[in-house]
Amino acid sequence: MPQEPSVCEEKNYNELFHKYYEQVTKYIYYKCGDLQQAEDIVQNIFVKLWQLCATISFSKAKSYIYRACNNSFLNEIKHQKVVLRHQQDVIANTDYESPDFLIEVNEFRTKLKDAINELSVKEREVFLLSRVEQKTYREIAEITGLTVKAIERRMSKALKELREVLGKDIKI
Amino acid sequence: MIENYDADDTFLARWIAGTLTKEERIGFEKTDTYKQLSIINRESQLLKGPDINTDTALEKVKQKINTKRNKTKVFRLWYSVAAAAAVLIGLGVFLNSSKTYTTGIGETMSVTLADGSIIDLNANSKLSHKRFFWENNREVDFTGEAYFVVKKGDDFVVSTSKGKVEVLGTEFNIKDRSYFELKCYEGKVSFINNNFSSEPSILTKGMKVLIEENKVKKIDFNEETPDWKQGISKFKNQPLMDVLEELQQIYPITFQLNNIDTSRIFSGSFRHDNLKNALQTTLSPMGITYQKGSKNNLIILSE
Repeated sequence: MPQEPSVCEEKNYNELFHKYYEQVTKYIYYKCGDLQQAEDIVQNIFVKLWQLCATISFSKAKSYIYRACNNSFLNEIKHQKVVLRHQQDVIANTDYESPDFLIEVNEFRTKLKDAINELSVKEREVFLLSRVEQKTYREIAEITGLTVKAIERRMSKALKELREVLGKDIKI
Repeated sequence: MIENYDADDTFLARWIAGTLTKEERIGFEKTDTYKQLSIINRESQLLKGPDINTDTALEKVKQKINTKRNKTKVFRLWYSVAAAAAVLIGLGVFLNSSKTYTTGIGETMSVTLADGSIIDLNANSKLSHKRFFWENNREVDFTGEAYFVVKKGDDFVVSTSKGKVEVLGTEFNIKDRSYFELKCYEGKVSFINNNFSSEPSILTKGMKVLIEENKVKKIDFNEETPDWKQGISKFKNQPLMDVLEELQQIYPITFQLNNIDTSRIFSGSFRHDNLKNALQTTLSPMGITYQKGSKNNLIILSE
């Protein structure tokens, strides 16, 4: 069995950092809505990862980082609104089947962001990980430590709630 | 009609993931809900999370790691310094520690020092010297009475309350009690009184020094070994108080004086092995009567 790369080696540590820092930070951000707080939490966990490098194997590092960040977040109960932006390359009113659906694109987008923020934290994090970060349910289950079934339920509930809030703004 | 997406709590999630059955999908696509959710889904996927600069973050994390490490390093360094200092102080105290020999009332003890010198302590005496490296600097602190047989070598110094006795290799007796007496039995001894104005006294075999009225007196004597080594205390024209003091060194007794004149002169001796005889041979010739007090060790004197 080939030996695992050591987390204590800077090269490997940097690799883990580049691989996971951004996604973990976003995950924590979607939970707490405070980017500064999210970055602090994740950075402190990476400091810990370095200190514990001898005891954490390279393959277990990802789950350690997520779990530790999540625990750290639970200790700092501070939920805020997530600030979401539209990608700049998106041109309004592109190829919708029927542009008439939209009362007004920008207004709708603002309402969508508000509606996402109105979701419970559990649903919000699943919805954003899926739709914005394009993670599969299996990945989300791994990150959150829940079952795929639970993720599917949360996702379905999130969609239902968004439709309830936004449906009246989408004229068919 | 209850739609699938209402009844099945994973239906919409599976639609998003594209894992609905064909039937489910076709049925769902006919609903208004589908059309609304398609737009919500589409718009949601156009959203973007925060911009995160991983490289800056990595730099920050490495700074944090280094400050923490430095802090612990500094902390550990101070710890080490403190520990080392404690060890050094402890070692110093230990190396500087003294070995002390004491004798109680009526006891004698023979001490052999590292250089082979022998010191016989008479009763109620105390000898101490440095525990380590003593041979580099042969010096002992002493009070009481003892007979010294010093091995030849560098200066051997005895510090007493009255002054220093310096010898090379010799035999001598020091008595440093209420009165001071140094007798040289062999070789050469020098005595330097604590009173620095006085010149050192050089004693050879058969010479002794006394301190009387703060002056060092040099007198000849004639004996081979100190009397106390034979278990005898001898006095020649000495005040009674010296005799009483000596009795109290050898025997566990305390005198109650009752206005007795202790400056009167006594010549004679007493043995160390019998209190009754000792009292009789010293006190009776002086016309002093004595009786035991209420306490065991109290001797009440009267004229």
